[in-house]
Amino acid sequence: MAVAVSVSRIAAVLLQEVYITLRSVEVIVDLPVWSLVTVMVFGFVTLFLSRVMNPIFAQYLYMGTLLWEIIRVAQYSMSLSALWNVWSRNLTNMFITPLSMPEYIVAQMISGAIKAVVLFGLVALIALFVFGLNLFALGLPNLALLFVNLLCFAYSIGLIILGIILRLGTRIQALAWGLVLVFQPLTAAYYPLDVMPPALQSVARTLPPTYVFEAARASLSEPRVHWEFMAIAAVQNALYFGLAVWFFAFMYRRSRQTGQFARNEE
Amino acid sequence: MQPVLEVRDLTKAYGSFRAVDRVSFDLSKGQILGLLGPNGAGKTTTIQMLVGITLPDAGSIHYFGMDLRRHREACLERVNFSSSYNMLQGRISVWENLVVFARLYRVDKPEHKIRDLCGYFGITHLLSQVFKVLSSGERTRVNLVKALLNDPEVVLMDEPTASLDPDIADRTLSLIESLRQSRDLAIVYTSHEMDEVTRICDEVIFLDHGRIVAQDTPARLTKRILHSQVRVRFEGQRGQVLRALNGRFAAVAVPHENVVVVTTEEHLIPQAIFDISNAGVRIVDIDIEKPTLEDVFLQIARGDGRVS
Repeated sequence: MAVAVSVSRIAAVLLQEVYITLRSVEVIVDLPVWSLVTVMVFGFVTLFLSRVMNPIFAQYLYMGTLLWEIIRVAQYSMSLSALWNVWSRNLTNMFITPLSMPEYIVAQMISGAIKAVVLFGLVALIALFVFGLNLFALGLPNLALLFVNLLCFAYSIGLIILGIILRLGTRIQALAWGLVLVFQPLTAAYYPLDVMPPALQSVARTLPPTYVFEAARASLSEPRVHWEFMAIAAVQNALYFGLAVWFFAFMYRRSRQTGQFARNEE
Repeated sequence: MQPVLEVRDLTKAYGSFRAVDRVSFDLSKGQILGLLGPNGAGKTTTIQMLVGITLPDAGSIHYFGMDLRRHREACLERVNFSSSYNMLQGRISVWENLVVFARLYRVDKPEHKIRDLCGYFGITHLLSQVFKVLSSGERTRVNLVKALLNDPEVVLMDEPTASLDPDIADRTLSLIESLRQSRDLAIVYTSHEMDEVTRICDEVIFLDHGRIVAQDTPARLTKRILHSQVRVRFEGQRGQVLRALNGRFAAVAVPHENVVVVTTEEHLIPQAIFDISNAGVRIVDIDIEKPTLEDVFLQIARGDGRVS
């Protein structure tokens, strides 16, 4: 079965995203407002901690918080986009047009990436000008690699959550907000990997963001691309993304086989 | 002429429950086909499979000679759907919703198209309104505009007039009738309103427990119920009326002192009236109730088996 991808239909989904984003107080609160609150709160915490400890450790915390925003924003965008339409009983309407699920997912990935770029850029600038943490000093190629790897992980988690929602319905919609938080302590976002107990370190090493955060911390003192971490993150991300696509395709097919896809809006 | 929609042995089971069981039918250009049946008969599941959001277990769906599963995009570009239950995105305006759908269908000059259709349906004034604040009637008309954006050749309508007040429902039906005539649209139409179905459908399929139990024109379906009823109010002796009618008709009942109800084949109704008038009473009122599609529906829904 050939799947023809239409740029026009991807653009249509993106256009709907723009309309929904501009008209939804919830999205504005969940994305820019929450990002701004995070950058401010942890900025002040970093200023305080810098006075009482080695500032580099306070910066680990702050940088981890800012980089985590990439995962949060992109995953939120991927998972919630379908829910906005399910809640409006409009998702099935969209899929009785020629729109295919791959086109829809590509549109959501683009939307997530744009939101993550804009919001991460914003918090990085605030961190620089208000709190003196210059993430751009890590080097733009390095920062871009960190960004892409975290984005890729967010896509994988977003796809898995979306697949579960399509298959099981909105009764587990809280996963769209909550599941990603499970990975926060496990990926050593705010602290070096070696402070974790050995068992948890083993778990952490199976997650791509762990290597991204390790690379970012290493870059603070030595600004360059730390390929020893980034290569592992990239390989793991490729694996995770492949598995997520397979899982999503399986859940979407099962959702249509069981009739759940149509029942989600009843 | 090749049908625009061919459905063969369509089957869908949820566990041991067969929601749709080997359903087959054709839809021709310009034809309105009604899908009727009690709740749980399989109408909605059939429609869901026809638009590809539920996958059949067996059977085939061909639009314009193309298999829906293999040529989903090519099929759905020429098909559309309208339901009183499916909403558009509630948070954004009618205009924004319609622009999104026009682009999903890759409509040329979408703005022009939207304004034309909204003018036709009299909803131009709603374009800037957020969809969720619209009334049921307004939503239905917006849904109909959405359903015509791509100049479809087939439209699937799932209870499009449900929850509308009678006036709006009537206007909606008139619009559907005029659309069929002006665009040669083929329509699959589900409804619980038998009068609507009788009015607009060329052919009706009755589903029960997922199976087709009757398929014909509304007129021929109602003729399959053999008995009509004539209700006669009279002045005079009841006994004389009953003696005159005795044993000659399928059933004779006297619900009130001066009212007799005769159930009989349609062609015997004049005879029944003639017999009553010859019984030495004065007839003051006659009410003839011919079988309707609703009677066919009730007969099926009550499990009276296949309509003959």
